[in-house]
Amino acid sequence: MTSGGATPGPMPRARRVQPAILYGVATLGILLIAWALATSAFALVAPRLLPSPAAVIERAATLITTPFSGATLAGHVVASLQRWLIGVTFAVVLGIPLGVLLAWLPPLRAAVTPAFELLRFIPPFAWVPIAVLWFGASTTTQALVVFIAAFPACVINAQLGVGQVDPILQRAAQVLGAGPLVTLARVVMPVAAPSAFTGVRIAVSNGWMALVGAELIVGKQGLGFLISQGQNNDSVSTIFVGIVAIGLLGALIDLALQKAQARILPWTPAAAGAR
Amino acid sequence: MRTRSAAPRPAAATAVSGPKMEIRGVSKRFVSRRGEVDALATCDVAIAKGEFVTVVGPSGCGKSTLMMIAAGLEEPTTGDVLVDGTPAGPAGPRRSVVFQKFALFPSETVAQNIEFGLRVTGVARAERESRLREQLAIMGLEQFTHAYPHELSGGMQQRVAIARALVVRPEILLMDEPFGALDAQTRSVLQEEVSRLRRVMSYTVLFITHSVEEAVYLGDRIIVMSRRPGRIKKEIAVPRDAAWRGGEIEAANDYADFNAVRREVWELVREEIVRQ
Repeated sequence: MTSGGATPGPMPRARRVQPAILYGVATLGILLIAWALATSAFALVAPRLLPSPAAVIERAATLITTPFSGATLAGHVVASLQRWLIGVTFAVVLGIPLGVLLAWLPPLRAAVTPAFELLRFIPPFAWVPIAVLWFGASTTTQALVVFIAAFPACVINAQLGVGQVDPILQRAAQVLGAGPLVTLARVVMPVAAPSAFTGVRIAVSNGWMALVGAELIVGKQGLGFLISQGQNNDSVSTIFVGIVAIGLLGALIDLALQKAQARILPWTPAAAGAR
Repeated sequence: MRTRSAAPRPAAATAVSGPKMEIRGVSKRFVSRRGEVDALATCDVAIAKGEFVTVVGPSGCGKSTLMMIAAGLEEPTTGDVLVDGTPAGPAGPRRSVVFQKFALFPSETVAQNIEFGLRVTGVARAERESRLREQLAIMGLEQFTHAYPHELSGGMQQRVAIARALVVRPEILLMDEPFGALDAQTRSVLQEEVSRLRRVMSYTVLFITHSVEEAVYLGDRIIVMSRRPGRIKKEIAVPRDAAWRGGEIEAANDYADFNAVRREVWELVREEIVRQ
């Protein structure tokens, strides 16, 4: 672990391979072997229904070097990540402050909650036709769908986090001479941060899943589009390359967020465990 | 040993300059959907500068409510709280509080927790650091300076909370069952620590507890409260130079006069618990 920051981080610990990690790797290995056995070794499933791992890897290698449906695999990945990042960024930047304010200001909560509760039960995909009508088959449309999928988790978890702060902490701050704003910034928000961060993680995965769904319906690039093109071209291995890439990228993004939590919120016991 | 009842109560110990803190005619009635509850009957308490007053009573008698009102964290239904003869106003660092559940800020290290009150009131950095170092030394916390609260035992957390309350140099220290959440051994050590601090630094303290032994061991004056709605049932003064002071709390039991006071207080509390 190399620390690039100016402040000295915690002492790097000797890395031991945890049994839990071994179990997890073993499960993935067994699934992969079962897949290989069912397709390549025993040919239990027809290749046009389920391609072998080797065929998927081969197809991935081709897609990495040769453009398919307008872009290489990297091009589709970048297109998806870009839309996803725009949507999620807006969701986090707007959703977390809104959640904090809803918990902190009861009149605002009373005014906003009914509308918010009504809107958040409309699935993101229900907005796709409206978004297309307003913005066409553009990045804005895709990012909007991501935003709609990601926004509620940010608001709800930030609100929950602030609401769950023990009032005795606010009293302690008040007794020590802190005003309401200092208490909010220095005591309430940091205590609410782990919950808000959980909200971000949920938002990130909701946004990712909604994006791929939206790309299946509309768009000219991206991993969802790659899958739909695989379907149109009767190339099941292309579909699988898309599926595997979506799963891997989603898992990597979440892993990065968990690592980030240990850095950003070093006081949370969960973060200490993930370090 | 002097023993006297609550009223009428001439402020004998404070005749020179008046009490440091005065809780005057304070009562509290909570209004909820299920009706009104009288938590506290009318109470009068006067605390002299440098005096250590303990309040003991059965659970639910309103003693914590009394303390919250004394701290300015809750409004009394009637009466008022005076410091140096003038209304004390809202809560603030003149009256610092040690809570039963520590109430440390989990996102701040030990040092940041202790410095909190100094930083939010704009104490200069050099002054902050010297006071922090001094307080860390007094409470024996030097090696935990950069630890987070969740990494500390309950006893250590409460030491941090006491340091955080003392570093702002309060005029009055309010302690709300500070050792109620600790195991028996840690509690004894901290009781002795507070007794020691007290002798060295002469704080003005209002200390709430449900432990009779603790109340007698620490207090210059012990206030016994009735069951809800709490009123002051009796006040018992203890000589400042009592022989058990400065010793371990276990050793206090060897003194006949300690046991006499303890038994007297316990009988008063017991009456309230068994009374139907």
